[in-house]
Amino acid sequence: MEKQHVFDQIPDYLDGNLSKSEASVFEKHVENCADCQKELEEMQAFLNVMDKEVHTPSDKLKANFEAALEQEKQHQRKVVQLKSKSSSNWTGNVLKIAASIALLVASFQMGSLFQQRKVDASIAQLQDETNQMKQTAMLSLMENQSASKRIQGVNYIEEFERPDEAIIQALANRLLYDENDNVRMTAFEALAKFTSSETVKNTLIEALENEKNPSIQVAVIQALVQIQEKKAAEPMKKLLDKEDTQPFIKDQIKAVLPSLT
Amino acid sequence: METLSDEMIMQKVSEGNLDLLKVLFDRHHKHVYNFLYKMSGDQMLAEDLTQDVFYKLIKYRNSYNNGSFLSWLFTIARNNLKTHYTRNHKSHDDIEVLAYKAVEEENDVSENNAHLQYALSQLDPEDRELVILNRYKEIKYDELAEIFGSTPGAVKTRVCRILKKLKNIYLESI
Repeated sequence: MEKQHVFDQIPDYLDGNLSKSEASVFEKHVENCADCQKELEEMQAFLNVMDKEVHTPSDKLKANFEAALEQEKQHQRKVVQLKSKSSSNWTGNVLKIAASIALLVASFQMGSLFQQRKVDASIAQLQDETNQMKQTAMLSLMENQSASKRIQGVNYIEEFERPDEAIIQALANRLLYDENDNVRMTAFEALAKFTSSETVKNTLIEALENEKNPSIQVAVIQALVQIQEKKAAEPMKKLLDKEDTQPFIKDQIKAVLPSLT
Repeated sequence: METLSDEMIMQKVSEGNLDLLKVLFDRHHKHVYNFLYKMSGDQMLAEDLTQDVFYKLIKYRNSYNNGSFLSWLFTIARNNLKTHYTRNHKSHDDIEVLAYKAVEEENDVSENNAHLQYALSQLDPEDRELVILNRYKEIKYDELAEIFGSTPGAVKTRVCRILKKLKNIYLESI
C-alpha cells in the first residue's frame, strides 16, 4: 500500500467530485491511514458547518430589485422612443447643419465685405492725401527759380487724372508768364491734354496773342484749330496784321484760318 | 424557462427581455448575499451590496460578453466589495473587528457562525474569497480560475490548502 497522503483529494471526495475509481482508491487509502482519516473527519465536520451557515437576506432585497427592474423597463421604453425620434429627425439635423454652415459662410462674407469697404475707404483717403501732396509739390516746384525744376513741376501733371482748377491755373500762369521758352512749351503740352476745359481754351487764346516764340505759336495755333475754337479767329487775324510776326507763322495762319471761319 | 442555462437567459436579457432578470435574481441572489456576508461579516452591508450587484446587472446587461454568467456575476460582486472598502478607506482586514462585533451583538446567531466568521477573518482577503466561492457548488474550478485569472489546476490546489488552513483555525477556535 502506497503511503501517500490524500489530503488534497478530501474536499473533492466530500463534494462527490471524484470519479468512482478515484473514490475507491481514496477510500482504500483512508482505511489504512490514521492521519488521512482524522483529516477527513475534521474536514467533513467543518464543511458541514460552513455549508449550513447559509443566511437568507430580507425580503426587502427582492422588492427593491423588482422596483429597480420596473423602473429600468420604463426607462428602456423611453429610450426606444427617443431613439426612433432621433432617427426620424435625421433630415432635420442635416438641415440644421446646413443652415449653420450657410450662416458661417454668410457672416464670413459680410465680414470680408465690411473689411473691404474699410480698406477701400482708407486707400481712397491715402490716395487723396498723396494727390494733395503731389499737388503741393507740383505747385511749389513750378514757383522754383530753376527752369528745369519748373519743367519738372509742370511734368507732374501726368500724375493727375483729373487736375483741379488750382493746377490748371498754375499751368496757365506758366504758359503765359514764364520767361523760359522750355517751361512755356512744357506747360502748353500739359494743358493741351485738357482742352475741353474753358479756362484752358481762354488761356490758349490769350497765349496766342502774347506769345513771341514761333514754335510755341505754331503749337498753340494747331491746338486751337484742332478743337475748332472760333474765338481764336480774331487773335489770329491780328497776328497776320502784325509787323513782327514770322512769315512762316503767317503762312500757317493763312492755311488754317479758313477752317475756323 | 426554468431549465434554461444562466448564459442563455442572460443573452435574452441583453437583447431586451428584462423580465428574465427575475429568474436570475431568484437563482443567485442568496449566493451573492452569502458570499458578501461571509466576506464582510456584516448583514446590512451584504444586503446593500447584493442589491447593488443586481442593479449593475440591470445597468450593464449590454456588456455581458456571453462568457460564464456566474464568473461575471461574482466578478461584479467582488468589485463591488472592493469599491466599498476603497471608498471607505478601510482594508479587508477590518473584518476582524466586524466579526467580533457580530459575536457580541448578535447572540441569537449560532455559535458556529461566530467561529466560522472568526476563522474566515483570519485568512487573506483573496483566500477568503476563493474558499467562499468554492463552497458554492455551482461554481466550478474553471469559473473560479476565470474569476481569479488563474488555471483550474492551480485554483484546485490552492482551495485545498486554504480549506485545510481554515478548518484548522476553526477547530482551534472552538
